[in-house]
Amino acid sequence: MRKLNSVGAAVAVLAAWTFVLSAQQPSTAKGEWPHYTADLKGTKYSPLDQINAANFNKLEVAWRFKTDSLGPRPEYKLEGTPLMVKGVIYATGGTRRSVVALDAKTGELNWVYSLREGNRAAIAPRQLSGRGVSYWTDGRGDERIVFVTTGYRLIELNAKTGQPIAGFGKDGIVDLKVGMVKGTGEQIDLETGEAGLHSTPLVVKDVVIVGSAFKEGMTVETHNNTKGQVRAFDARTGKLLWAFNTIPRPGEFGNDTWENGSWATNGNTGVWTQMTVDEELGLVYLPVETPSSDFYGGHRPGNNLFAESLVCVDLKTGKRKWHYQIVHHPIWDHDLSSAPILADINVGGRAIKAVALPTKQAFLYVFDRVTGEPVWPIEERRVPQSDVPGEKTSPTQPFPSKPPAYARNFLDVPNDLIDFTPEMRAQARDNISRYKNGGLYLPPIVGSGNGLLAAMELGNASGGTNWPGAGYDPETHTFYSQAHNSALFPLSLREPPPGFSDIKYVMGRGDTEFRVSEGPGFGTAADAPQQQRPAVAPPKPAAAPAPNPTAPPANPLVVQGLSIVKPPYGVVSAIDLDRGELKWQVPYGETPDAVRNHAALKGMTIPNTGQPGSVGILITKTLLVVGDSQVTTTPQHPRGAMLRAYDKATGREVGAVYMPAPQSGSPMTYSVDGKQYIVVAVSGGAYSGEYIAYSLPNQ
Amino acid sequence: MTQNKLAWLVGMACFTALLALAQSAGSSVWDGVYSEQQANRGDSLYAAKCASCHGTSLTGGESAPPLAGGEFLSNWNGLTLGDLFERTRTTMPANRPGALTREECADVLAYLLKMNQFPVGKTDLARQTEFLKLIRLDAQKP
Repeated sequence: MRKLNSVGAAVAVLAAWTFVLSAQQPSTAKGEWPHYTADLKGTKYSPLDQINAANFNKLEVAWRFKTDSLGPRPEYKLEGTPLMVKGVIYATGGTRRSVVALDAKTGELNWVYSLREGNRAAIAPRQLSGRGVSYWTDGRGDERIVFVTTGYRLIELNAKTGQPIAGFGKDGIVDLKVGMVKGTGEQIDLETGEAGLHSTPLVVKDVVIVGSAFKEGMTVETHNNTKGQVRAFDARTGKLLWAFNTIPRPGEFGNDTWENGSWATNGNTGVWTQMTVDEELGLVYLPVETPSSDFYGGHRPGNNLFAESLVCVDLKTGKRKWHYQIVHHPIWDHDLSSAPILADINVGGRAIKAVALPTKQAFLYVFDRVTGEPVWPIEERRVPQSDVPGEKTSPTQPFPSKPPAYARNFLDVPNDLIDFTPEMRAQARDNISRYKNGGLYLPPIVGSGNGLLAAMELGNASGGTNWPGAGYDPETHTFYSQAHNSALFPLSLREPPPGFSDIKYVMGRGDTEFRVSEGPGFGTAADAPQQQRPAVAPPKPAAAPAPNPTAPPANPLVVQGLSIVKPPYGVVSAIDLDRGELKWQVPYGETPDAVRNHAALKGMTIPNTGQPGSVGILITKTLLVVGDSQVTTTPQHPRGAMLRAYDKATGREVGAVYMPAPQSGSPMTYSVDGKQYIVVAVSGGAYSGEYIAYSLPNQ
Repeated sequence: MTQNKLAWLVGMACFTALLALAQSAGSSVWDGVYSEQQANRGDSLYAAKCASCHGTSLTGGESAPPLAGGEFLSNWNGLTLGDLFERTRTTMPANRPGALTREECADVLAYLLKMNQFPVGKTDLARQTEFLKLIRLDAQKP
C-alpha cells in the first residue's frame, strides 16, 4: 500500500510538472504566433478579435522593417511569416537569409544573425530568404530559434542573444547535406551537392524535423539527382533520431513501385513545404513532392511511391503508419505543396480526427488521420494516356467525391474562355485550338509549332493552393483557402540538346530555341554570381524564316492583352468540413488594371474579376485576412495593393488597408500589452522586401 | 589645361545635361523616348541575358514575372523609367547582377517599351538614372 502511495505521488508530481512545462510553451491562446502556421496543426488560426470587421479600415502602420541590408543587395521576393513569442518577433529576410529578432511593439532590431556560406549558398537549389524560423524551449528558460540556411545547414540560436547554441551539432550547426545521397547511396558533395530548403523546420516536443528540396524539375540535367529525405533531430543536441526515405530502398515498403530497379537511378521526391504533427497521437504528416523530372517519367516506370503522397509516420521512430498517393506516376508537377491541416470534425454524427490536404489541383483530400481512410470516397477514374515515347502513365488517378474542387483544375473549353466580348471569345477559341485539351491529368505531348503546341494544363505547377497553404477554424470546422483559378501551364516536351541531360525529354518545343528553366529566386543568393550551367551548343544561325501561315501568335494565351481564361482569376473559398460542402466562394482581391482600363471594355460593367496568384491567408476569430497579389491603381486608392478582410461567415469583404506592394508572404497576428497586430511581408516589382505591422490607433 | 579650355568643357557638360533634362523633363513613355535602333540592340541583349527566365515573348515563367502586358504595366504604372532602370541595373540578370552596363540596361528598357507598344522616338533613352526618373511609366495614354 505504501508502495502504491509512493507511485501515485510520483505520478501526480510528474503530471503537475508536465502541466507546468506545457504552460511554459507559447501558444496562440496567449496571443502568440509560435509556429509558421500558427500551431502544429497547420491552421493559421488565432482566436484574437480586437481587430474586426467594424475597425479593420482604421488599421494603421505600427512599424515596418525593411530587409534590404540583410545581404549585399535587396531581395524582391520576401516570403517569410514571422513568429511572435513573449513579445519578440523572429523572422528571416534578405538575400543572405539572415535571422532577425525584433521588438514586437516597435519593430526595433534586437539582434541579427547570418552565416556566410559562399559558393555553397550561391548555387543552392532553394535561395531567397525562406519562409522563416521555428522556436523551441524546454520551458525552463532555454529558448532557441531553429532555421535552415540557404546552403542547407540546420542552425539553433539562443533566442535572447542570437548566438549559436554551442551544444547543438558542431558549434550550433548540423550540416544537413551529410547523409543526403544520390544513386544507390552515394553521399552528395557537401559544397556542390544539390539540396536545400525554404520551409521552416517542424519543432515538436524535443524533436526538430526537416525536409529537403532540389532544383526545379523542368529542364534538369539528370534524373539521378539527390534523393529526398525527411529527418528528425534531437532539439537539444542535433543528434539524428531517424530518417524516412521518400524513395524506398530495397526491402522497404513501396520499393517495387519503382519498376526495373529505377529507385536506384532517380532522385528528388523531397518534402519542401510545411509538415504538420499530431502531438497527442505522435503522428507526423509529410506532403511529398514529385520525382525527377517534373514532366517526363520514362526513366521511372511505376507509381513511384512516395512521390506526391501524403505519408503519415511515427513521431518517435519515423516508421510509416499509412500513406495515400494523390497522383500516381506523377508527370504534371502536382507537388504536395501545402501543410496538411489537422481537423477534428463530425461527419454524420461520427467524430473523426481528420487530416485535410489542400492541393495545387484545388481538391481537398480528407482522411481519417489515424487510419488513413478517406473520410469521403476517393474514386480511381480512368484518365488519358501518354503518347510520348518511353512514357507509361497510370491508367487511373484518384478523384475525391467530396468536397468539390475549390478552384478550376482543368480548362473547360469553351466555357472557361474569355468572353468579355464576342471578338475576344472568337479569338480565344481560335488560339486554344492550337493546344490539346482534355481535362485533368491530360499527359504532356511533344509539341510542335506546326501542329499542337502543347497539352493544356490548369491547376498543376502554379495552380490552386501552393506553398502559402490554407487555413482552418477549429471552432466552426471550416476550411479556408485562397486559390489560383487561372494558372494555365501548357506542357510540351522536347529532346534536350546533345550533352545537356540524360533525360530523354525535357520541357520545351523542339522547333524553338532551348531554354533552361530555373526555379523561383535561383541566382539571387547573397554570394551570386554563381557557377554557370554546362555550356549548351549555341543555336544555329537562323536562316530567314519562310512565311508560315500556321505559325502561332507570340503568346496564344493572351487575347487583346488579357488572359485567355475568363474570370474569376483567383478565388477565396470556405468549406464546411463536417459536410464536405462549399459554404461560399468569392473572387480574390480586386479587378486588375489591365481589365478595368481596357479600351474594348469601356462602358461595360465588369463584375470583380479577382486576381491570379497563390497567396497565404490568416484566420482570426471573425475574419479571413489576405492581401492582393498585384499592384493596382484605382479611384479608391493610389498605386499599391490592399490587405483585405473578409467576413468568415459569408465571404463578404468588410475592410481593406493600403500596402505599398503586393503581399508576398502569409500574414500572421499577435497581441502584446493588450494590442493586436497583423504583420505581412510585402515585395515585388520596384519594392524590395519589407515586413509591415498594422494595429489600431490608440484611443 | 588653360582656363579657357576648362570653361569650355564645363559649359559643354552643362549644355549636355540641360539638353537631356529638357528632353526628359516631365515626359512620359508615351512621348517617344527611345529609338528604333536602341530597341533593336535591346532585342539581342534581351534574348541573350533575360529570355531564359522572363520568356522569349516576355511572358514570364515560374521563376520571373512577365515584362509585357497587363500585369507588368499595372506593377510599374505610376513609377518612372528610372525606377525600372535601377531595379534592372542593380539586380539583373539574377545570376550575375551588375553584369550589364548602363548603356545595355537602357537598351533593354527600350526593347521592353517597344514590346509594350509605347511609341518609338528619334533619340536614345538616357543612361543616367536621374534623367530616367523624369520619365513617367504611365500604363494608360495620358
